Amino acid sequence: MLQLREIQQAFADGIIKGTYHDVAGAIHPGASALRSVALYRRLIRNNYVQALKITYPILSRFVGARYFGLVARGYFKKYPSSSGDLFLYGRHLPAFLTVVQSPPLLAELARLEWACHEVYQAADSPPLSHDQLQTLASADPSQVTFHLHAASRLLSFPFPVHRVWLALQPETPTDEVVDLPLPEQETCVVVTRGDGKVQVTPLARTDYLLLETMSQGVDAAAVERIAIEAEPEFDFPRFLATVLNLGVISGVFVENGP
Amino acid sequence: MSMHNSAPIPAQAGIGLRSHHFREILDAPPPVAWMETHPENYFGDGGASLRVLERIRAQYPLSFHGVGLSLGSTDPIDHAHLRKLNVLIDRFEPAFVSEHLSWSSVGGRFFNDLLPLPYTSESLDHVCARIDEVQTILKRPLLIENITRYLTWQDSTVPEGAFMAEVVRTTGCGILLDLNNIYVNAVNFGLDPIEFLSAIPAQAVWEIHLAGFDHFGRALIDTHGQPVCPEVWGLYQWAIHRFGPRPTLIEWDTNLPPLSVLVEHATQADAILGGCHAAAS
Repeated sequence: MLQLREIQQAFADGIIKGTYHDVAGAIHPGASALRSVALYRRLIRNNYVQALKITYPILSRFVGARYFGLVARGYFKKYPSSSGDLFLYGRHLPAFLTVVQSPPLLAELARLEWACHEVYQAADSPPLSHDQLQTLASADPSQVTFHLHAASRLLSFPFPVHRVWLALQPETPTDEVVDLPLPEQETCVVVTRGDGKVQVTPLARTDYLLLETMSQGVDAAAVERIAIEAEPEFDFPRFLATVLNLGVISGVFVENGP
Repeated sequence: MSMHNSAPIPAQAGIGLRSHHFREILDAPPPVAWMETHPENYFGDGGASLRVLERIRAQYPLSFHGVGLSLGSTDPIDHAHLRKLNVLIDRFEPAFVSEHLSWSSVGGRFFNDLLPLPYTSESLDHVCARIDEVQTILKRPLLIENITRYLTWQDSTVPEGAFMAEVVRTTGCGILLDLNNIYVNAVNFGLDPIEFLSAIPAQAVWEIHLAGFDHFGRALIDTHGQPVCPEVWGLYQWAIHRFGPRPTLIEWDTNLPPLSVLVEHATQADAILGGCHAAAS
């Protein structure tokens, strides 16, 4: 008689590897062990395909159900779920797509969608208050640092993958066309959440670099110097207005301030 | 002071809350007595789903029906999962917190499905200790739901109903009785559903689930994607007669119909519950 743990481990091997010999002796002979394990395997795999589809709806639409199903089944073998929380399942998909040498666009699209998935459920933060904005205007910039919103992600890609993401949104008109292959052109975006809805906004290269710098706790004076070095005519007020409107900044802090 | 509708869940029909119906529910709250949701769908730190749940919770009593705790697993209890659950319980004050008499993980591998335990004395001791541990951490009794299974373990020596009754006696938990699961198992394995129900102590039944199934070859699969079948409605009448009126959930997770279909099912359950209330008075 197998112990409970032995039964569970043998059954788990059957589900993941498709083998059933180790668990067959524990299953009542009235039922075919092969058929029982195969049925559970099928049900569980379907659960995972659905979970990945929910996390990666655009990738799934882009490649179609058949190819996505193949990817999902390969992913399930390589990365079994390690949590009872299915929101975490799928976090290795961008790396998996790279390892299996799928077209680079797919791995980059997956990277963008995982960022969207994280942003969708990231912590809330109240909008910047009038007092904080006043602080920004009046304080010594060398004393000011910023906090980026938990519901924001900065990403850069070797091509404008966000065009595919935007074109395949359910509300995008069906006659929207994206020419493939995408041009080789470094593209920066910020993923944010406005009114509960995730949005992807392209950023100028310098804006992206400055936000990345701000996210590391660098003070506003240093950020401005970096901006001017990158672009002597850089319009810092325009930059701040843009990122504040996008809700990328959730906090302004003044060293030794009130 | 709690901002929630703090009434307990009444012995009336409720519906499963799914994001697909959020907009419809917010625009025109349906005439059902309560709602139930999977807490794992709200494990994120923020975002729109949590805000919607706050609004719905302000109007309806709520129950949490967990699917990710893997109560019967021989791995250690997932304390990170329990912490997230506890945070949600503090925030939303559900009247019931339920889980399944099953396992879904071993060796750190999770299947996110409800897998059957062998009904043995070893399993009984194990699962009772786990339920005790969870109830201590959550500081409240759990409801434990019977599952569907697509195999029978060779070493199962205790009938499922008797196994559940013993779990209740040992741990003080309640039972969430899923009548569709009993029916599906009965058809797939040639069992007598009344035998199962007869083994369950009436006072242990705190909630009932009604759902639908799909056919897969000759087997029935518990998909929660079809209307409640006439045979399960018949079992429900039998169960309500035996156990008395109980909070009853219309559970629908896949192939989701319009909200009105769930409400129609809830109305049908309420009619049966109403008949029982009337007979008792």
